[in-house]
Amino acid sequence: MTDIKKPVYLEEKLEEVTQSGRLEYRSKSLPTWCPGCGYFSIVEGMTAALNRLQVQPKDTVVVTGIGCASRFPFFVNTYGFHTLHGRALPVATGIKVANEKLTVIAVGGDGDAFAIGGAHIPHAARRNVDMTYVLFVIVIYGLTKGQTSPTSVLGFKTGTSPYENQDAPLNPLMMLLSYGAGWVGQAYAGHPHHLADMIHQAIAHRGFSYLHVLSPCVTFDKTTKTYKNLGVMVRDLPEDHDDSDQMAAMGEAARTEAPAMGVFYQKDRPTLGDGLQEIVKRARGTRTAGKRRAARQAAE
Amino acid sequence: MSRKRKPVTDIQIAICGSAGDGTIAAGDILKRAMARAGYKVIAFDLYPAEIRGFGKCIARTRITANQVYSMKQKSDVLISLDDSHAIPHVDEVCDYGAIIYEDNPMSKVEEGGHISGHAAPAHIPYGIPFREMSERATGSARSRNMVAVGYIAGLYGMPQKIFHEIVTAKFKGKAAVVTTGNIAAFDAGYEAGAATIRLDFGVLESRSRRRGKADLVMMNGNAATVRGCLDAGIETFFGYPITPATSIMEILAAEMPKTGGRLVQTEDEISAVAAAIGAGYTGARSATATSGPGLALMTEMLGLGTIAEVPSVIFVSQRGGPSTGMPTKTEQSDLNLAVFGVAGDGQRIVLAPTNVEGCYKCAGKAFEMAEQYQTPVIVLLDLYLSNRYEAVAFPEKNPFVRKCSKGVSRRGTGSPYSRYAITDDWVSPRAVPGTEGCQHAITGLEHDVFGRPNDQAHVHEMMSRKRHEKLEAAINHPDITISKRFGDRGKVDVGLLGWGSTFGEILEAMFVAQKEGIKCAAMKVVMLSPFPKPAVVPYLDDCAEVLVPELNYEGQFADLVTSATGRPVNRLNRVPGTPMRVDEILAEIRRLADGAKQMAAE
Ligand SMILES: Cc1ncc(C[n+]2csc(CCOP(=O)(O)OP(=O)(O)O)c2C)c(N)n1
Ligand code: SF4
Repeated sequence: MTDIKKPVYLEEKLEEVTQSGRLEYRSKSLPTWCPGCGYFSIVEGMTAALNRLQVQPKDTVVVTGIGCASRFPFFVNTYGFHTLHGRALPVATGIKVANEKLTVIAVGGDGDAFAIGGAHIPHAARRNVDMTYVLFVIVIYGLTKGQTSPTSVLGFKTGTSPYENQDAPLNPLMMLLSYGAGWVGQAYAGHPHHLADMIHQAIAHRGFSYLHVLSPCVTFDKTTKTYKNLGVMVRDLPEDHDDSDQMAAMGEAARTEAPAMGVFYQKDRPTLGDGLQEIVKRARGTRTAGKRRAARQAAE
Repeated sequence: MSRKRKPVTDIQIAICGSAGDGTIAAGDILKRAMARAGYKVIAFDLYPAEIRGFGKCIARTRITANQVYSMKQKSDVLISLDDSHAIPHVDEVCDYGAIIYEDNPMSKVEEGGHISGHAAPAHIPYGIPFREMSERATGSARSRNMVAVGYIAGLYGMPQKIFHEIVTAKFKGKAAVVTTGNIAAFDAGYEAGAATIRLDFGVLESRSRRRGKADLVMMNGNAATVRGCLDAGIETFFGYPITPATSIMEILAAEMPKTGGRLVQTEDEISAVAAAIGAGYTGARSATATSGPGLALMTEMLGLGTIAEVPSVIFVSQRGGPSTGMPTKTEQSDLNLAVFGVAGDGQRIVLAPTNVEGCYKCAGKAFEMAEQYQTPVIVLLDLYLSNRYEAVAFPEKNPFVRKCSKGVSRRGTGSPYSRYAITDDWVSPRAVPGTEGCQHAITGLEHDVFGRPNDQAHVHEMMSRKRHEKLEAAINHPDITISKRFGDRGKVDVGLLGWGSTFGEILEAMFVAQKEGIKCAAMKVVMLSPFPKPAVVPYLDDCAEVLVPELNYEGQFADLVTSATGRPVNRLNRVPGTPMRVDEILAEIRRLADGAKQMAAE
């Protein structure tokens, strides 16, 4: 998982990227993020994953809420819907219900997801909507320029907590595991290759997958989740971690002092689309059964 | 009784009982049978507000030979299946009207507990042993309600055979004894009714069963709304239960999957409208349904629908407000929220049908409009309209256009696709996900023609104009009544102007006023936004006085009319939670007519 540190030459890199076909997934708009923001590597990871999966840009929809992270759709060459603060998941659900053929990816920040949009996550997870939710987790509100977020640590000083944050942070991974999400994983923006691989797996999973991406906000968080701090905090999941064991996953997720990278949990179960298909079958079944009964009665 | 029985053409029957007495079911059979027999029928049921076992239910049915537009203030017959609930309604029985009740109660009745003690001298009491008759006919007291329906049918000489058909249809799929039992109970009542000496009753004038080709179907506003959705080809629906809109979702849940449609019960109204907009974005016909409190939650998302130009249809059945207000009472107080409820300049299309057939039309047309003008469309109903039954003749041919989208022509030009291109009619060709070569992002941020965020002055000015101008065409949308004038032509002393369910009462009042010799007209406005000024202004020109009766305290429609046309209007505002009273409208018309005459004389 550790990235090999060797010098990178611009021409070589450009050549490599062009050859890879990844650029097909990048839009012509340049990201508006602050230089050094962890979000850049998430775009890179996403385009690499989409390229590897060979999903067509025309059949992909990226849906976001509002926030720095949520600017994502403008930077990829897919269909995109930049919706309202907190509402990426319900909009994405509507898209998937209406057109099962589309690859639907929701992207957001943690305020978008767990503060204003908190009501939607349990339901997207329990319904098992076949989509991928990639959360860019800086522990502060970026777009509104530095206020506490639901994952801000105790004691964090921000614009809205000048006397230090007194509200305990949420544990999103434990929440998602208990909501019944079928795929739960964690990655770090500072490890781009692993990140790309995790996005790949999350999209490939059939059902609702949640990828928690730790990412530093270089502009507003100079003290807690910086590249320097996160670099030493993160660890790999234990070699023998059983990703079908929900309780073991919970145990790993509880260790917030040392965030683990990898797939915490995965399980296949029927998706929302499967359920809706089943309902259509039953509705039609009763109708034909009714017709059969009528035909029998007529014959008698 | 020597008096010859005259044929009657207008009777209103109220059946009152507690939940579990079969009150609503009895009313249902009565109205369906009379509609099938060719009469005009309007019915409005009242359910208990609280969910306790023995809440009060009233089923009111008005049966007429000619089309009428509202319920009557007074009923001709009150049938009591439960005296404790029915006693407060003795007042609503007209003079020489009948009160029909159980004359052999099971247990001893307290002083004042029996309805016969409450009837006025002008009422005609009929004590009937419902319970005994039911037991004799079916071996159980459960069919008391059917005995009661049979009795009233016999009393008025209603066609017995049609009742049998309706009862059979109602219990289709249940055990055969259910049908035979109910018919036996009905017949027992019918015989007793037919043999009763009538004091003042006439016989219902008989009707030919079928008029024209179309069959008359008894339906309430919500069911007609659903039929409109289905005929318009609805593909997805997302909703969260709320009175009085819930039955729209419940009927759709049963019907949509039969044609492959998909319905999801969401976690709240925000997600319901969000998902409807998400589905609309993919090109699917999608809708949600709610009431005022839900609409309040939806407003932010509707603004997104407006700026991102995504079609969706929102049905809103109003109830008493503000806040949780009066969930089981009717009101017309969400007009402001429907028309103006949005952050920023967010005009949208708002339709408000005035009767059950209108619910069908507006529902179907809403999908066309949403798609054609790329915008959210609100269809504003209210509890009275949602639950009111009318005999409706549906067109034989599906009247709705299935594809109204301005799509992109074949792509592959190499130039970037501009989702918000400025065109002659201000509507841009729309590419939905899956279209090759048109990848783009849409957003709730102000944007340029490509959909890229842009807040420059000229961009915001152009896009604001685009979003407003494109809707103007909707007031000429084909095959839908946007507004309509009734009554006297030309100049009138009093012109009524109304919207929504109250227009029925307005018409009734206008007819009476005309008979009294008042020069009077009435106009209904179905499209509340954009406001159909070209039709309304000339009408206002014709009226010496304009009266706007509506069920809200603030005069929301009156404000809308005045702000759109610059003309002052007279207001009649009531918030009883029940339909507007025809006599109150009439009193206002008379007062204004007198004033208009005096003015003319001076
Ligand atoms: C209804 C509403 N409330 C508030 C805002 C303001 N707002 C925009 S982004 C944001 C928080 C962003 O934080 P987060 O979701 O964590 O995303 P980040 O910017 O950190 O990526 C807020 C409060 C809004 N756009 N809409
Ligand atoms: S404010 Fe923070 S999260 Fe937002 S773009 Fe800048 S560095 Fe990234």
